Amino acid sequence: MAQPLARTETAPPDSALIAAWQAGDEQAAAELVGRHARPLARFLAGAGAPQADVDDLVQETFIRAFRSVNRFRGRCQFRTWLLTIGGNVLKDFGRRAGRRKVMPLDEGVRDGRGDPHAHAEASEAEALLLAGLKQLPRLQREVFLLRAQQGLEYDEIAAALATTSGAARVHYHHAVRRLKEIVGDE
Amino acid sequence: MNEDRLNQLARRLGADVAERLDVEATARKVVQRLREQPARRAIWIQQTWVRIAATVVILVGGAVVASRLTPGHRPGVSPARAHLVADDLSDLSADELREVLTSFDAIVAGDSVVMPESGTDLNELDTQQLRALLRSPEG
Repeated sequence: MAQPLARTETAPPDSALIAAWQAGDEQAAAELVGRHARPLARFLAGAGAPQADVDDLVQETFIRAFRSVNRFRGRCQFRTWLLTIGGNVLKDFGRRAGRRKVMPLDEGVRDGRGDPHAHAEASEAEALLLAGLKQLPRLQREVFLLRAQQGLEYDEIAAALATTSGAARVHYHHAVRRLKEIVGDE
Repeated sequence: MNEDRLNQLARRLGADVAERLDVEATARKVVQRLREQPARRAIWIQQTWVRIAATVVILVGGAVVASRLTPGHRPGVSPARAHLVADDLSDLSADELREVLTSFDAIVAGDSVVMPESGTDLNELDTQQLRALLRSPEG
């Protein structure tokens, strides 16, 4: 069994946790899950994962990521790489479940905090946005979510999706234009 | 709806799902599944090698059987040798052809040469018949 990563006051970077996991430190893997599970869940939910399946999809994404972590070259952040794996996991899930085109709109993906009236309006808009996202090609949808939801830079998105920064920008703008058409005047 | 509003909505998507996620339980389950993974992988590798070995055995066995069943295949007789024998038949006399045929009979042990008629003595065959007989193993 490998020596657990020494815990210090400052949190170790992802790269140190990855190296520790590769050396057999399970606690390092658990810590990586703790850091990135929630952003991953938000990404999956935004990309159309049914609420009831988000937990399983998050687990499956981490399993795949840890099993293939030797292929992670560090060209982008670990989280960004993880989100792209999440996209693949969701695609496989949709294919298996035969729900890819008819994934039910899930009430659970909306944020329930805040003023009820504002929340009702926001919920409607979010429902429209979700419906719009499901109509986008996968690449556009993922680029939009990585940019708008996760706040990533184009360079980072491009590195994760093995494309160029310019192409990522184009995908984002196509997505925004299409979403404006679908969501319309709120 | 403008781009800023779209981005604002996008940031809220899935926020409550993420909030409800039991991160510690998820981490425990992931670690547990990762512990089980090496054993499953070893079994998978073992099964794969068994399948590969079985496939190789079937292919090699099939090739051997097919080669034995192929017409013209005569165990113990080199096709090159039969060809060499038949190449120079035109230059041989009847006695020389009989001698070659006798030695050839010894090689093939009498299991494959088709005689013109059963019980025919080589001495009764003329030169042309002997040539035909010698060429017959070539198919």
